[in-house]
Formats: sequence, C-alpha cells, structure tokens
Amino acid sequence: MNPNVALVSINNLTVRYGAFTALDDFSCQIEEGCTGLLGPNGAGKTTLLKTLLGFITPTSGGGNVLGLDLYNGNKEIRQKIGLMPEQDCHIPGLTAVGFVAYAGELAGMPADQALRRAHEVLEYCGLGEARYRNVETYSTGMKQRIKLAQAMIHGPKLLLLDEPTNGLDPKGREEMLDLIKDISHNKGVNVLISSHLLPDIERVCDRVVVVLRGKLVSQGTIRDLKRIEGQPLDVDLRESNESFLTSLRAKGAQAAPTTYTTVRVQVAGTREHAMNTILQSAKESGAQVRGVKLAERSLEEAFLTAVQA
Amino acid sequence: MSNSPIADLSYRHYDGPLTGVSKRWWSIAKMTMQVATKRRGFWGWSLFSAWWFFILLAIFWFADNVLGNITGQASGANLFLKQIVWKDQFLHGYSFSQLILMIITLMIGVGSIANDNRANALLVYLSKPCSRFDYVFGKWLGIFILISLVSFVPMMIFWLYGFMSFQQYGFWSSAPWLPIKLAAMSMCSGALHASVGLAISSMFNQGRLAGATYAGIYFISNIFTKVVGGFYVFSVRRTGQTGSVLKQFFYASIDGIQIGLSKVFLGTEGSLILPFMAPPPRNGRQLTTAEIIVGSPSAAWILPVFLVVVVGGFAIAYSRIKAVEVVG
Repeated sequence: MNPNVALVSINNLTVRYGAFTALDDFSCQIEEGCTGLLGPNGAGKTTLLKTLLGFITPTSGGGNVLGLDLYNGNKEIRQKIGLMPEQDCHIPGLTAVGFVAYAGELAGMPADQALRRAHEVLEYCGLGEARYRNVETYSTGMKQRIKLAQAMIHGPKLLLLDEPTNGLDPKGREEMLDLIKDISHNKGVNVLISSHLLPDIERVCDRVVVVLRGKLVSQGTIRDLKRIEGQPLDVDLRESNESFLTSLRAKGAQAAPTTYTTVRVQVAGTREHAMNTILQSAKESGAQVRGVKLAERSLEEAFLTAVQA
Repeated sequence: MSNSPIADLSYRHYDGPLTGVSKRWWSIAKMTMQVATKRRGFWGWSLFSAWWFFILLAIFWFADNVLGNITGQASGANLFLKQIVWKDQFLHGYSFSQLILMIITLMIGVGSIANDNRANALLVYLSKPCSRFDYVFGKWLGIFILISLVSFVPMMIFWLYGFMSFQQYGFWSSAPWLPIKLAAMSMCSGALHASVGLAISSMFNQGRLAGATYAGIYFISNIFTKVVGGFYVFSVRRTGQTGSVLKQFFYASIDGIQIGLSKVFLGTEGSLILPFMAPPPRNGRQLTTAEIIVGSPSAAWILPVFLVVVVGGFAIAYSRIKAVEVVG
C-alpha cells in the first residue's frame, strides 16, 4: 500500500443542519492504510461519515472518495465502500450465509459469486461453523463479526468501521482488533475507524484524523502525533540517581524525572551528541543506564493536547 | 463459534464482476419473494384462497357430466349451465378470496418494513448502492407479484377449464377479453395490498403491531361498508332509486375497492352467486338483482380512489425511510 495516496479528499466542506453547523470549512486527506477518526461526542465524526456515504448534501465545499465526486457519485461510492455500522443490524429471517450473500447481491455481485464469497468471508470472520444459524440467535460478538462480514463481502476498497468494538467483552475486543489489523495490514483493505476508544485506535491505526466542533484539529501518523517537540529522550535507569540529573544539567541538558527510574532528557544538537552527553553523565555519576528511547506522549495525551489547543 | 481465525489466510480480495448501481430493487423484490415462499403458510393459504373455484369446478363438472347424463340433455342444452353468467363466476371467486389475500399480505408483506425497522436492516440496505426508492419499490414489487399471482392463478385454472368445457354455453363468446381483465383485477389486488401493507408497515417497529393495525383497518372498513350496503339495498327496495351516493361508499374498503374495480373491469353489476340461490319473493314479488346486491360503482369514483390509495400508500412508505439515520 502506498500511504501517500489520498483515498478521501475533503476540501472546505461545510455541512449545516438548519442553524447548526456540523462541519465547518473542514478539509482533510485520508490516505491508504488504517486511519482512525477521533473526536468527542458531537464533534462531527458521524456527519463526516454520512457525507462520505452520500446521505447528506454539503452546504458548501466538496471532495471526492476513491476518485468519485461527493455530489455525483453517491451510489458508486457506496459500491466501493463497506460500512460496518455501530448499531446491531441484520435482515430478519435469514441465516448468516443468506444475509451476507444478500448483502453481496445488493452491492452488485452476481448471486452465485455472492454465495461463494459469503462462505469465504464468514470463515475469515470466525463464523464458519455458525453460518447456517439465523442471525437473530447470534451473540453480541457474533453480530459484530457478521456486520464486518457483510461490509467486506464485495471486496470494498475502503471499509468504514463505526465503533467496531462496541459491546464486546475483552476477549471479543482483542479478536475484533486483531481481525481489523489483519484486514488493514495484511489484506490490503483500507480502513477508516470512528471510535472513542483511543487504545483501540492506537493498536490498529497508522494515522488519525482528530475532529472537534466540526473542524479538523490534527491529522497525521500516530507516531507524529505522539512525538514531543524537541525530541527528548527517556533514559531508563536501574535506580534513581540525583547526581546523574545534576551532571546532565551541568552539561546544559534539560533533565527531569518522569518516573522513579526514568529521566526525560533534552539536549540541544544532534541525537549523537545527546547520547554522548547522557553516557558521559552516567559514567560520572555512576548511574546504571538500562535503556534509552525517543520520548513520546500517549495517544490520550496527544489527543487531549490537540483538543485543548 | 470456532476460535477466532485471525491468521486465516483463506481471505482473498474480491475482484470479480460488480453490476451497475441501477435496478437494485429487483434484488430486493427477489429476496422478498424468496423469504415469503419459504413459508409453508404462504403455500397453504394460497391454495385455500382458491376454495370457491374448487367448489365451482365441482358444481360445473357435476352439472355437465352427471346431471347431463341423468337428464339426457344434449351438449349445450343443460338448463343450469345455460343460466350461468360466466364472468360473474370469476367475480364471486375473486370476492371470496379477498379475506385470504389479506391474510397472505399479513404474512408476507405487513411485517416487511416493520421487522426491518426492528432489526435496523435499513443500515444494511442503504449502506449498499441502494436508494430509498430501490428499497421501497423492491419490497412493493415482491408483494405485488406474489399477491397478483395468488389471485390470478386459480382464476386462470378455472378459465382454462371453462374454455375447454363450456364453449357451447358462451364461455368464450360472452367475454373474449376475460384473461386480460382477470390479470388486471389480480394486479389491482397486488398493488392495493402491497401499498397499504407497506404504508402501515413503515409506521411500526414490530411486525405484529403492523399486522394488527392492517387487520383492524381491513375489518373495520369492511363492517362499515357492509352496513352502508345494507342501507343502500333497503333504500333501493323502498324507492327504486339505484344512483344513491351510498352505492359508492359501499366500495370504500380494502375489499370494496378491489371488488368495485373488478365489476368495472368485467362490466357487470354482479349477480347471485348461483341461480338457485335467489331469495324468496316478497309481498308476492320476485326481487330484482338491484334489490338484492349492490351494483357496480362508477368508474370515475373507484379508479381515482384506487390510485390515491396505491400511490398514497407507496408515498407514505417512501417518506418514512430516512437515509440519514443510517449512521449514528
């Protein structure tokens, strides 16, 4: 996959519900890979998904999804996209294989291919043995999986997953996240996940788009978002050592303990110079260094910083 | 459920054909019919809807073969068969099947959108390249085709029997366009039940509630029109006037619209179910047909009523489907 190719390109999009502006001059690019759509309740995530699916006509601005214009390609866009909705959904009276095959037919697959593919997708999603059961008898975890199966039956280029781990127990959540990661990283399907759960996003996504009050707050790779300005290093010591801090400060470095045994160090200059300073201070102070890594924030901290800014 | 086959490598990307995004309604219509025809009840009630035609077949076969042999009447001279108004037999059979058609609609159609609402099935439909029109029209078409066929097939079987057996009694010559008229009648039933059923269905989240409402409207409107019919016949017997507005209101029910339209299509005022079923004379006078049954409604009244109900029902169902509720 080429992470620099834009699957979705939104330019100055404004969507209003009466007097309320849900998306305000919103612009963003969603590139290939797995992207998380983050934002508090009412931020505009849902409105953005609805707009991508062509259910809402924007007040102004525009964009394209998989090369199709937002205004003219509603049905064509939906044929290339798979949506896994947040709520439980199924078609009453059908078995799992009947339901997924029917979803394929609705997407435009010939009936025989839809049926064959339904078996494959259900097997992949872990419902192989339950494929002939009526969907209404499924557990919550199974219903989540079948929603994913119906979304990917027709081989969409882009999967929109709305809160995919909603209502799942820890084991089910782990399995669902593994499945999403496998789809997005090993099967070449691009995924856009809308979720409030930062650990889920951090685990499976490469990139995030942060939305707040209808505006784009931040977008980029998770690694970039978590990166701290000045690129400080976290030095892991065997035990706390005050003279190590004193030695570092004497050499012009900024040093502060973040935990009992970890010191965050920022030294002006190159990374090599910083390492030399750290090792020299360790030698002088007798501190035992166990590891050095680039310091980064948690995604939660990064998200809160972006939102508060 | 098996353990999660997270590492299952059997998944392949689908790169087979995808048809264009138009005509999704046909997939929905096919599935509506498929789900309906999997129910044993559907076949049972469909067979039962032809009950009057089975009775007619037996009566006419008996009159033609057994009575004819006993009385020694030559072919074409059977007095009983000579009195038969053939097109009216279709009207009677059609009228008697109305209740069963309503029951079949309850079974296959009235829960259609309501159950989808309960299961959030619209999320599946509308996230695929289906429009609201595809969804509602597909459902409508599925119900329309099934109800039309359930109504049409028994009539055509009876017509074939009559065509092969009673040419000498004017079966063909008295109504040469009958098959087309029967098809039109059947399609009216299909359209009416599909529209009203879907309109009611779209207002509920429970198929049973929608069904109860549909049955309630059916029976209440029927009782109302039967009372109106009683007043009308009484008025005709007293005044001899048949042009009363009451006559039009006799057809203001789900059954009534269909029966009224069929009378217009067949060009008949209706007749006694069988010739020997005439009521006894009153005050020494034999009652005329107009004093016993309500005649045909005005086409200018019944056709617009039919169109308003069919188009209105479809429009209500369509307006209740909200695509923006698909996400969130």
